[in-house]
Amino acid sequence: MSNSSNPNPDKGRPSKKIKFSNKDEVRASASVEEDEGYLERDEDDLRYGEGEKRDFTKLELKPDHVNRPLWACADGRIFLETFSPLYKQAYDFLIAIAEPVCRPESMHEYNLTPHSLYAAVSVGLETETIVSVLNKLSKTKLPKEMIDFIHASTANYGKVKLVLKKNRYFIESPYPEVLKRLLKDEVIGHARICSEGTHGSDEFTISKALGEVEGVHDELLNESDVAAAAEEKDTHAFEIDPAQVESVKQRCLPNALNYPMLEEYDFRNDTVNPDLDMELKPQAQPRPYQEKSLSKMFGNGRARSGIIVLPCGAGKSLVGVSAATRIKKSCLCLATNAVSVDQWAFQFKLWSTIRDEQICRFTSDSKERFHGNAGVVVTTYNMVAFGGKRSEESEKIIEDIRNREWGLLLMDEVHVVPAHMFRKVISITKSHCKLGLTATLVREDERITDLNFLIGPKLYEANWLDLVKGGFIANVQCAEVWCPMTKEFFAEYLKKENSKKKQALYVMNPNKFRACEFLIRFHEEQRGDKIIVFADNLFALTEYAMKLRKPMIYGATSHAERTKILEAFKTSKDLNTVFLSKVGDNSIDIPEANVIIQISSHAGSRRQEAQRLGRILRAKGRHQDRMAGGKEEYNAFFYSLVSTDTQEMYYSTKRQQFLVDQGYSFKVITSLPPADSGPELNYHHLDDQLSLLGKVLRAGDDAVGLEQLDEDADGLALQKARRFPGSMSTMSGAKGMVYMEYNTGNRKHGAGQMKAKPKDPSKRHSLFKKRFA
Amino acid sequence: MVQQKGLFVSCDGPMAQFIINLNATLPHNQKFIIHVLDSTHLFIKPDMAGTIRTAISEFRDQNTYEKPSAA
Repeated sequence: MSNSSNPNPDKGRPSKKIKFSNKDEVRASASVEEDEGYLERDEDDLRYGEGEKRDFTKLELKPDHVNRPLWACADGRIFLETFSPLYKQAYDFLIAIAEPVCRPESMHEYNLTPHSLYAAVSVGLETETIVSVLNKLSKTKLPKEMIDFIHASTANYGKVKLVLKKNRYFIESPYPEVLKRLLKDEVIGHARICSEGTHGSDEFTISKALGEVEGVHDELLNESDVAAAAEEKDTHAFEIDPAQVESVKQRCLPNALNYPMLEEYDFRNDTVNPDLDMELKPQAQPRPYQEKSLSKMFGNGRARSGIIVLPCGAGKSLVGVSAATRIKKSCLCLATNAVSVDQWAFQFKLWSTIRDEQICRFTSDSKERFHGNAGVVVTTYNMVAFGGKRSEESEKIIEDIRNREWGLLLMDEVHVVPAHMFRKVISITKSHCKLGLTATLVREDERITDLNFLIGPKLYEANWLDLVKGGFIANVQCAEVWCPMTKEFFAEYLKKENSKKKQALYVMNPNKFRACEFLIRFHEEQRGDKIIVFADNLFALTEYAMKLRKPMIYGATSHAERTKILEAFKTSKDLNTVFLSKVGDNSIDIPEANVIIQISSHAGSRRQEAQRLGRILRAKGRHQDRMAGGKEEYNAFFYSLVSTDTQEMYYSTKRQQFLVDQGYSFKVITSLPPADSGPELNYHHLDDQLSLLGKVLRAGDDAVGLEQLDEDADGLALQKARRFPGSMSTMSGAKGMVYMEYNTGNRKHGAGQMKAKPKDPSKRHSLFKKRFA
Repeated sequence: MVQQKGLFVSCDGPMAQFIINLNATLPHNQKFIIHVLDSTHLFIKPDMAGTIRTAISEFRDQNTYEKPSAA
């Protein structure tokens, strides 16, 4: 739709209650509705001559459109009114079939993509159900283009399933004709194993499968539809050679036969693998959205592989532990670092009745082995994928991991792990079912697409604002603090010869330091809060922490020291502020913290911003206080300190995009520290500022650069200034504007930091330390 | 005392630094600042207003992120 074609541009947002008698006017209101927030984009599109696509005057409004919650457009975009009484049902349905693009408070935008429909089919929705429910919810008659698109995208998805039953791989399908077509393929034909019961190649094992149970969507269907869905279906199957599973899977991908296979694990009928005796403890009460995500995974009594997206602090661990207790088989849990390994092991003991000897940690520091024939192993991606020589002890454990058949492969923070490491982990470990957990399905590189095929489709994604409203996660006040550069620092910032020090200069801006010091004092003294200060820049991290006399944790900090600092932070009244480098972005669980001050960040990484916010999302205080109208409207604070007139402004806005799309708004604060603050804050005097400036300028170029972490694939992608024009398509929304990288940035800046630092010997993995010592 | 016509520029501290830096990068015969009055006020040659404006808006654009539209 274009602005120019809108006959009522001055009307603004019409109230839903106004009744329109004239049909033309009704259409006009439709235009205005959808226009909200997209004005700029429309202009852009007009410029590129795509104006006609935005013209929705041809859409036919249904007479009772007031009662229906969404608008469906021919180009696959869907808009949902969140104030509709049907919002909850419509949301559950849309999240299953479409990718969320932007979810502010009253209007959500979604996008239908082939991958989102693939995910829909894999959780058990059928093409006809999708079309009919969509049609029911839509204010307008469904555009023919959309129906065709749904048919085309779902025609082949989900028709074929790969099932591991009693350690034999079967290819299953309710459609025998599809199986016949598959068998005509040379690779698959060869891979087939003919069992005794079947005579010719045309016969398949036939069994009854339970119908899908999808209560929520059934409500929206006619009774006859429900009956059809609940009816039992015949399933046809043939067995294939376990050694050729990989190549068969490849043949089924869209670029070959185009019957992508769903993987399911019939764990109840698995008698070969020993059961692991564990239950959820009674006090572990999954919240509604956790239940919902689990029900997507276990929808038909089998376990599906896939990814569950929940904001940090919303209880991902409980979802993981619950999944493991439902499958009740050996479970391999992969985390990103040793600290989170400890936390996962703790979570397992906290929520389930697992006995201490059944769970073990496998890290460079602790090499435990479980007793008995089934158990849970918690380890890191690095430990499993590590290619070099291992100690004898860990070699044995790895061998054990390789040889075992895992019921569940639980993967934490799937968005941060490089794809090649994934491939390796998945090829090494044999697992029936893979569950990926993450908070942010955005990456600055193109690897989202890989996840879809390596793990499975996205099973569930929660809406942040709904969780905030429900009191499940903290209500965060986000603020961007604008700190003007001081005269001297800005003069140096502008000089060409300092181009490599730009970052150090804007981070060390004395005004920023003072704002940071002021905020720390304010929250420590006035509110008694626990504060995390994030700085990517190691030079700044050390300077700030030393000057303010606070402890800090960065890449080279040993595991023992980290644990000590975090423990003190959690328990001691005297330690209320801790400085973290980007090692703190993921997984370090500090539930006590409720204030984040970000003094430097990694360029424009939206993922990092969301992850950092996640550190304080865990809900605190009493439930009723957090609800609307409770004592505290906001109980957590996220400050991003930005030096104005520098590149930091660019990055800052970009980083906020993900959170803005989740419905968060950033408040801009310009007057920090207050004008009347004097020498009680550091760097009040010009002399101090000048000596700091001198220090920054004297430091070597690499000393003021970014910290390099081995596991930081996302970071590397950003630094090399590789920008992808939308090829990241797919899985998470991809077609929308959210997940794309554009070539608008300052390449110069990235190029300056391309060279990796020589490796700091103190950061070497402990396995290597011995060798080089 | 030489009388000179010029432009009185009043801006915030960082922008004054930007203009001074711009001046410093130009060859000698193109330098336009006649006098730096204080940290927020400058006295410059009268014909430079446009050039400075363009340079500043270019600089600001570099530091502004615009959400890309859907392709």
